[in-house]
Amino acid sequence: MGGRAGDVAAPGAPMSAGLLAELYETHAAAVYGRCRYLLKDEAEAKDALQDVFVKVLQALPEFRAAASASTWVLRIATHHCLNLLRARKALWREQLRAAQADRRQETEGPDRRELVRVLLAAAPEEAQEVAVLYFVDELTQAEIALEVGRSLPTVRKRLREFLACAREALGVELEGADL
Amino acid sequence: MNLDLGGPGAGCSAMRVRRLLAGELSGVEKERTEAHVEGCERCAAVRKAIATERDALRRNVPFPEFAAAVAEKLAHRSQRSFATRWAPLAAAAAVALIAGTLLVRRPVETETVRSKGAASAQLFVQDGKGVHELAAGEPLADGARLLLSLQPSGRKRAAVVLVEPGEASVIYQGPAVNGTLPEAFVWTGRGVATLLVVLSDSAVDATAIRSAADAPRGSDVLTVTLRR
Repeated sequence: MGGRAGDVAAPGAPMSAGLLAELYETHAAAVYGRCRYLLKDEAEAKDALQDVFVKVLQALPEFRAAASASTWVLRIATHHCLNLLRARKALWREQLRAAQADRRQETEGPDRRELVRVLLAAAPEEAQEVAVLYFVDELTQAEIALEVGRSLPTVRKRLREFLACAREALGVELEGADL
Repeated sequence: MNLDLGGPGAGCSAMRVRRLLAGELSGVEKERTEAHVEGCERCAAVRKAIATERDALRRNVPFPEFAAAVAEKLAHRSQRSFATRWAPLAAAAAVALIAGTLLVRRPVETETVRSKGAASAQLFVQDGKGVHELAAGEPLADGARLLLSLQPSGRKRAAVVLVEPGEASVIYQGPAVNGTLPEAFVWTGRGVATLLVVLSDSAVDATAIRSAADAPRGSDVLTVTLRR
């Protein structure tokens, strides 16, 4: 593997190993966690982690201007992973079918985060990121509206779409359906 | 049977705990969050999950491995998209003419996301003949410097991406400056390329843009065709 930390440089914006180390300390664990959670594949998660930080380094002015660096970086990670999942839609759909089968046999409640993950496959693209921000990152609807630059009614509409798809996919009632 | 998928609780938010641990909170918000987290089981579970994430990172992706891999990917992208094909240059020209641009407005999704009006852009060319506006259909000379000027018409964020067959290069991402971008650039490719200019009210991830359809809804998208 080539390259050293001290060589890191984005086009037009020289990087230092110190900056990368700081980013690693502050944000890499959350990004890695998000990639593992969404991709469910260790090798892909490591690769995605690196890709996300390449994107971060290439967009440092945006990163520095973000109201919350943590939220901004995790949104990049979520967006990146959702794109990868869409590219392997067949596998994602298969995981959803497995979750549906589990629902018919389970007596105990499922892991909520894992259920949200597989249900994302059933939701329209526009609703997927909003669902992650709400159910995984636990941002309020108002916070999501600010973060994604959409109106509050639009965010609410996206969450309703996600819940409707989830309800249809699992054939059960869902809490929060009164959004 | 009812299923609960979670979501933010009363005063509870996984992201707020993350932001607290990352040192992003201050003042009253920090004090309020610290006080809440202290006695909240749900937030304690989030803290534990964050600690587990950190352990997994250190165990599976230690910093030297991470830094080397990121450096390699950056170097690869630089070599592919910038070092040989694009060279950021100092701002070239202060005088220029109007470029032939096409304005495409993405559909407005809600009433609250309004178009701010007629955003526009100009592409200036500096070559052996001096500085001039890029005319429609004009082929670029080898070594010509290109400088983009924006008239964002109230838009706050801008992204500029050069799209060529099979690849896209980010030229600019940041505030929607009113006037020329900080740097000129050189396109050394052949054939046809498209310069996509996205002007939006919210943040734009330029790395995700490959066509006008990738622009956020409600944003203005301007396209300039480059030929050589």
